[in-house]
Amino acid sequence: MRVHVVEDDAGVSDSLSLILANLGHDVISYPDAESLFRSPPPDGSDTVIVDLTLPGIPGAQVVRWLLKMAAVPRVVVITGQSQSAIDHQLRGLAPAGVVRKPLTVEALARALPAS
Amino acid sequence: MRDFSSSPGLPECATVSEARLLSVLDTAADGIIVIDERARILIFNKACEQMFGIASVEAVGQNVKIVMPIEYAYDHDKYVGSYISTGVKKIIGIGREVRGRHADGTVFPLELSVGEAATPDGRQFIGILRDLRPRKESEQRLADLQSELVHLARVSAIDEMGAAIAHELNQPLTALMLYLQAIRRAHSRGMDINAMVGDILDKAAAEAERAGHIIQRMRQFVEKREPVRSVRDIDPMVDEAVELTLLGQRHRIRVEREFAGDLPPVAVDPVQIQQIVVNLVRNAIEAAAPTGDPAIRVRTRLRDGNVVIEVHDNGPGIAAPALPKLFEAFASSKRRGMGLGLAISRTIAQNHGGDLLVDPGGNGKGACFSLVLPVAPPPVPSEVG
Ligand SMILES: Nc1ncnc2c1ncn2[C@@H]1O[C@H](COP(=O)(O)OP(=O)(O)OP(=O)(O)O)[C@@H](O)[C@H]1O
Ligand SMILES: [Mg+2]
Repeated sequence: MRVHVVEDDAGVSDSLSLILANLGHDVISYPDAESLFRSPPPDGSDTVIVDLTLPGIPGAQVVRWLLKMAAVPRVVVITGQSQSAIDHQLRGLAPAGVVRKPLTVEALARALPAS
Repeated sequence: MRDFSSSPGLPECATVSEARLLSVLDTAADGIIVIDERARILIFNKACEQMFGIASVEAVGQNVKIVMPIEYAYDHDKYVGSYISTGVKKIIGIGREVRGRHADGTVFPLELSVGEAATPDGRQFIGILRDLRPRKESEQRLADLQSELVHLARVSAIDEMGAAIAHELNQPLTALMLYLQAIRRAHSRGMDINAMVGDILDKAAAEAERAGHIIQRMRQFVEKREPVRSVRDIDPMVDEAVELTLLGQRHRIRVEREFAGDLPPVAVDPVQIQQIVVNLVRNAIEAAAPTGDPAIRVRTRLRDGNVVIEVHDNGPGIAAPALPKLFEAFASSKRRGMGLGLAISRTIAQNHGGDLLVDPGGNGKGACFSLVLPVAPPPVPSEVG
């Protein structure tokens, strides 16, 4: 399966790619929302992992955009913020999963579709 | 204040009953000593007995040197002599801080005012003495309190940043965990990972180090300690403080940094200076956040021979009525503000021989705070290297 990772932290992004590849996925990483929007859009069978705190366009905006697509990909939010901050930013949005940092491979695997 | 040099009352003193005069002097809270032209003690009141541990009956008739530390005592005769022969006043009519000596040898600070009176018996000098020790103690208490306050505000800033710090620590912890789990998985599946394991372990170690750095920085910032000055470049110090403040900020802020790059160094306590920058940047963010497109500019430059750090935001500026109390403690317009940030910041700036100034802005312009710090004096040769 193809997994898109939108994460600005280089260490998190690199280790995520490694573990996702390890789980057997094709990984495409983006350092910010802008570079995701510039690339070919994900399709309905893809998963997009989005960090909420991004430089520039905020993660919640990316989630909103993805959930409005004709063929909605699976959207998984990752974040280190407090629950109230998460709730506030995701008002009215229902991503397939929210995984809080620090991430573990088990929590990630649970949020991804079984493949 | 206590200038007796032209006191009209004293010449008459000689005619007043001495007993009555003494009883008046004895009720005085200040020490009072009257000496003649040869520095012999004529009057030594009750407060003096206490202050110096010498009974009046013993003191009277002796040279006033008995209440002075040895090194003054030597000069004192010369002062009196020189004044009498030249009329040049060294202390008369001027209150000043001197040191006295108790009979037990303790030397302590005194405020001394000396007046002069011409009497039928010749010239007399009257000294009014106030023990400064209680005041020194309260000054010390004030200083202690102030440092406590600085500490407190720092802790409250940290408290607010607590969640942000957790967020910041989450990043390296996430990376670390995933790197380790990647190795674990590969290993338990019997995959050949020898080619990449060294690389992954290096990355994992770097992430652990990064987490350590974050904690170190916080620790430096929170722990209470004596100010330690060192000669530093201001730019990296300011940059780090800005980073610290932005750690996991919930608001999305555009931050423009305009560092001079070639400023002369300053002699400062880096933690305290960073605390000022943190306070100013926090305020700027809080002021600009409601605009919807918050932006702040942090600039360093040389102005009139001083290093200046400016923090400018695009918020509403400061309303004129708030200006006079802006730098006072507990002046806050925020629901959760303590109103300490600016008060403490200005105190620190002034303790460094600098100042904290404000251009209030308004009418569509945000406030701009300038932290002014004097350039460090050139190093003396022994400090080089
Ligand atoms: N950049 C700014 N723009 C507009 N107003 C400001 C700015 N900086 C400070 N102020 C005003 O000055 C007041 C005092 O600031 P100060 O930093 O001393 O306290 P505080 O921010 O309210 O609380 P604390 O810093 O103790 O959490 C603020 O409440 C705010 O009204
Ligand atoms: Mg403040």
